[in-house]
Amino acid sequence: MTDVTANGLSDNAADTTKGRRDIGIRKRYASEKRFKAYGVAAISLGIFALVFLLFTVVSKGYTAFWQTEIRVPITFSQDMLGTPEQAAESQTKLLMANYPQLAREGLARLLEIDPEDKAAMTAAGKLVSTGVSVELRDIVMGDLSKIGTTEEVWLYADSELDSAMKGQYDLNVPESRRPISDLQLEYIQRLEAEGYLQQRFNWGLFTHGASSRAETAGVGVAILGSAYMMLIVLVLALPIGVAASIYLEEFAPKNKFTDLIEVNINNLAAVPSIVFGLLGLAVFINWFGLPRSAAVVGGLVLTLMTLPTIIIATRAALRAVPPSIRWAALGLGASKNQTVFQHVLPLAAPGILTGTIIGLAQALGETAPLLLIGMVAFVADYPDTPMDAATALPVQIYMWANEAERAFVERTSGAIMILLGFLALMNITAIFLRRRFEQRW
Amino acid sequence: MNMMEHFQASLNKGPAVPAQMPIKMKTENVKVHYGDKQALNGISLDVKERQVTALIGPSGCGKSTYLRCLNRMNDTIDAAKVSGKILLDGDDIYDPDLDVVELRARVGMVFQKPNPFPKSIFDNVSYGPKIHGLARNKDELAGIVETSLKRAGLWNEVKDRLDEPGTGLSGGQQQRLCIARAIAVSPEVILMDEPCSALDPIATATVETLIDELKQNYTIVIVTHSMQQAARVSQMTAMFHLGDLAEVGETEKMFSNPDDKRTQDYIMGRFG
Repeated sequence: MTDVTANGLSDNAADTTKGRRDIGIRKRYASEKRFKAYGVAAISLGIFALVFLLFTVVSKGYTAFWQTEIRVPITFSQDMLGTPEQAAESQTKLLMANYPQLAREGLARLLEIDPEDKAAMTAAGKLVSTGVSVELRDIVMGDLSKIGTTEEVWLYADSELDSAMKGQYDLNVPESRRPISDLQLEYIQRLEAEGYLQQRFNWGLFTHGASSRAETAGVGVAILGSAYMMLIVLVLALPIGVAASIYLEEFAPKNKFTDLIEVNINNLAAVPSIVFGLLGLAVFINWFGLPRSAAVVGGLVLTLMTLPTIIIATRAALRAVPPSIRWAALGLGASKNQTVFQHVLPLAAPGILTGTIIGLAQALGETAPLLLIGMVAFVADYPDTPMDAATALPVQIYMWANEAERAFVERTSGAIMILLGFLALMNITAIFLRRRFEQRW
Repeated sequence: MNMMEHFQASLNKGPAVPAQMPIKMKTENVKVHYGDKQALNGISLDVKERQVTALIGPSGCGKSTYLRCLNRMNDTIDAAKVSGKILLDGDDIYDPDLDVVELRARVGMVFQKPNPFPKSIFDNVSYGPKIHGLARNKDELAGIVETSLKRAGLWNEVKDRLDEPGTGLSGGQQQRLCIARAIAVSPEVILMDEPCSALDPIATATVETLIDELKQNYTIVIVTHSMQQAARVSQMTAMFHLGDLAEVGETEKMFSNPDDKRTQDYIMGRFG
């Protein structure tokens, strides 16, 4: 009897314990699963947002890399340009010449239009960009012997034609409601059929400066301006930031004052960038008298903005070097300086480089402070030095986004793609450097 | 077999220790404060030349702190304040005229966890001689590296791969590399802070044999948690307890017939 009772009791006890345990375990697994699901959901959302963003930008912007051009036989007539000898003496005639008329005459020959038919001539003339003035002038001024000859030249088509060719206009609406007339449409079809009108890769997007005509607008000046600024940021922020971090991390005494500095550096990293723009305007332009819109001012402002990022990354990298390496060097009789520069710094280098590149990438995409120091400017000519007026990639995007024309919409997205390309390049470099130089211990 | 007999079995039965070796390092009333906390309460201890002195005691008793005073590694800790006198060959090592760089070249250190530089084996050993200008040319430097690795008993294992990273060696090899690195600057004293605590028994045995050989040329002070190790490798043993020096004496006597109750209890395994 006692045995049975005892057995029954103990079985019961075992069951209860087992049951309780099961519930506990199931709960723990359930919460683990839930957490995993949250994680997957968060990442999926992020990936979706990224893909959506990229898709929107690329689908709008890829057409910007192609540009409709028309091959026109241009006769550089001596009537208009004067003889090569005259041109060599004085360029006035070359500068003042009516190049659009040369283009019009060329088109008229191509399309067999009677030069006396004013309406047809106007319609044909509007097919090419008014930017041909610059294009043709550069050709003639580059080689005076071309005067008096006829040569086939690829001319930019007008941006409305370009947009129409890219299917951005509905051409089935009545003539009065579209920018391209029936006559022009007929010309376009004839030119295309004969291979005189083509979409060609738009190198101008990378090389041209600002222009009010979409077809001749490019980000060349902006890329150069951004490059100047990145160079200034790199040259100033890297040494200053690394030196400051090394001093704070390895040499400075740990006291209230250095604590205060540390807190302030961390706070500076969170200061809105437009505040740095105001600072740049007040200090660099109004006080130091540096030129407005210049890459040098932009570079200085971005340096200030990037310094906290670089200092924080560098300090983290220095702190990640195990103290045993410092002891090993000190224990051998290395001085503090030798320990830091021969052992700690090389080990922290990948972290410092990564931090710097991320700081640079942040600076490259920065717009707000540049608005305040006047880099929102119409700059058509390449800046020769960082002291000349320039603009920057994100600012160029901002300016194009404000334009109403169809052709600028695609160019805005195209410029975003170029900017993203540069950012991706920098981040890949950061990853590569980290992989390449990372030390394990 | 009781505990005492057990340790006696481990005792170093090498050639009899010369009764009186000259004193290499002398400390008088050394106190260390970490901020408000006092870690050492006035330690007076003599370290004899070309002997192994073992520092034993329970965790937190201050033996590592004491060891780090002997080459001023405590300088690197801002909060640490050292007072008292520490003499190396009769010279005060805290004398402002004595440079800490020079001191650490004379008093080398091997740490608890092997910490080779993430560089080649050759660079690890040659770093010290390079910064102290001990070699006039490359051949001399290579000679120093070879001698040091041979003395550390590592030469045969690494002679064909001197340009491979030191971090790629096994734990025991890494620790011997660190010992080679320390002896490459020709120190007079080598401090070892639990050099075998991160090693397996076989590697430990190798390092212990090495320590025994090294004492012919160097004065060694070793902190250890293993009393068998202290018994095996040392001639003198100092027992630390709560920042005090409980007892110091010849190892053989310490493990067979300690005077202090705390030493006796610790060795018998009653605490610590």
